[in-house]
Amino acid sequence: MIWVTWRQHRAQILVTAGFLALLGLLLLGSAVEAGRYAAEHAPPGCPGPDVACGELEVALGRRYGAVYTIFGWMPLVAPALIGAFWGAPLLGREYERGTHRLAWTQSVSVRRWLLVKLSVLGATVTAGGLLLSLMVSLWRPVFRKGADSTFGNIGVFNMVGVQPGVWWLYAFMLGVAAGALFRRTLPAMALVVAGVTVTMFTLFQLSDHYAEPVRAELSGDVLLADPDARLVGAAWVEPSGREVTEPSVGGCPHRADMGRSDRNARAWEACLFGKGYRHAVYYHPPSKFWRFQWTEAGILTLASAALAGLAVRRTLRRPG
Amino acid sequence: MSPVLEATGLGVRYRRTWALRDCSLSLPAGRVAALVGPNGAGKTTLMHAAVGLLRPRSGGVRVAGTAAFVAQDKPLYDGFSVADMLTFGRRTNARWDQASAVDRLAGLGIPLERKVSGLSGGQRAQVAVTMALAGRPDLLILDEPLANLDPLARHDVMRSIMAEVADRELTVLLSSHVVSDLEETCDWLIVLNGGRLQVSGDIEELLREHLVLTGPREATAAGVRVVSERRTGRQTGMLVRGPLPPDPRWRARHPGLEELVMGYLRSPESAALPRPAGVDA
Repeated sequence: MIWVTWRQHRAQILVTAGFLALLGLLLLGSAVEAGRYAAEHAPPGCPGPDVACGELEVALGRRYGAVYTIFGWMPLVAPALIGAFWGAPLLGREYERGTHRLAWTQSVSVRRWLLVKLSVLGATVTAGGLLLSLMVSLWRPVFRKGADSTFGNIGVFNMVGVQPGVWWLYAFMLGVAAGALFRRTLPAMALVVAGVTVTMFTLFQLSDHYAEPVRAELSGDVLLADPDARLVGAAWVEPSGREVTEPSVGGCPHRADMGRSDRNARAWEACLFGKGYRHAVYYHPPSKFWRFQWTEAGILTLASAALAGLAVRRTLRRPG
Repeated sequence: MSPVLEATGLGVRYRRTWALRDCSLSLPAGRVAALVGPNGAGKTTLMHAAVGLLRPRSGGVRVAGTAAFVAQDKPLYDGFSVADMLTFGRRTNARWDQASAVDRLAGLGIPLERKVSGLSGGQRAQVAVTMALAGRPDLLILDEPLANLDPLARHDVMRSIMAEVADRELTVLLSSHVVSDLEETCDWLIVLNGGRLQVSGDIEELLREHLVLTGPREATAAGVRVVSERRTGRQTGMLVRGPLPPDPRWRARHPGLEELVMGYLRSPESAALPRPAGVDA
């Protein structure tokens, strides 16, 4: 059965492996080039508060941005592609071509056929996703010493840690289940793309509740010092200690800003702070990184198991 | 002979309609059975139930030993070479006779390195049959093995199946809606019509037991089991089961296989079935 799985799915396996290899080369090249540039241009004492350090940071940031635009779409598109090309055809194509009547009338039972395929291919896509995560995690620090954004930026968050692994697994199982449901590849592919998009959006909304947010009271400024935090909510605290969303003080004129200027908003905030108001911010600090990683991994793994169960059940109940 | 295939009260339903209803039959070992019936009679459903591709709603079907199945469109993996197909068979079967499969394909002139998508219809059927035989089954089930084949390919496929039957103990169940394809090769007949079993029995016996009667309209056929009757002008023709009726005006002869099948298909309420198992002493 392992040979059968390899022979039937080697196109997907090879294309995905080739893609990861290509991306690995790109990242390696970019990291080596950036490392050499940093070694040549970094004045002693960097990273640090020195002005020259800032220039180096900008130069590295430019390099980072150039490469990031190439694969920044991956958190969404890579799982969708995995689900569409690994998952959806697994059953969809067999039903479409009638080959399930060949595959499931040999002495290997349908259950075993399915379980081997699901476990071998599921493990392979998970490993592929984790390899992507490893490469990105090795590449990013070359550019981003000190200031990180793996937690606050949802796109980056979904590309590091265990996220790519579980997302790829989830998309794969979603594709398999859709194939079992529709018995057609194309509708199953469409469902995968829609399903992955909806899931990603839903989990993004849900992630606020993965942990109790931290509360901080700011006076003088409404911005958190840590750029990598995830903001959950904010409110104004009256001098009496009561929290309100919209301060009802008459003395501060609140005028709309024109264009990109935030001068009026700034003036209003400064006026409120002057009257004894404080700004309460609810947020998740980057220290929650692994808690969020494992929570989301747990949700997606459970969902994958449920989808796999659905696919198996449906296939065994009505195999013809 | 002990039965290789045995169905008892088999019923299969697709949503609201019964594709197969209360079907009980047993196929003795070593037979080449023709499963005939019009389109939608339940032939494919019976075969799919026998090989486990669908679950019956009621009753059951049992195969003694192993069964190999070739589905109607001879499904093979298009991206595979013929050699890959054989490896597929070897990896998914407990019993596999690679040498005989390779020999067989060599004898048929089908190169192992040829892609499945590059095979002709006849070659495709031969590869599918070869794979089914390489698993050394006790029962070979073929769903319309001759459909979409030209006369020469039909003959070749049929001949190679029969060669295998002659070589070893193998029971074959094959379906077709063209009775003439089966006349020379089959020795057991199963007729399905509208999801119900009409006939199951040895072909020679069936032909011997039945008579085609022709006579004037007034001729009586009392005491005879009439399968079907056709009146044309002043003539009556009927297919009957049992002895010749006493009325001397009848002219009688034994039917051909096609006549027998047509006679039953024309009157779905008639049946020629063995007594239920157990009562049979």
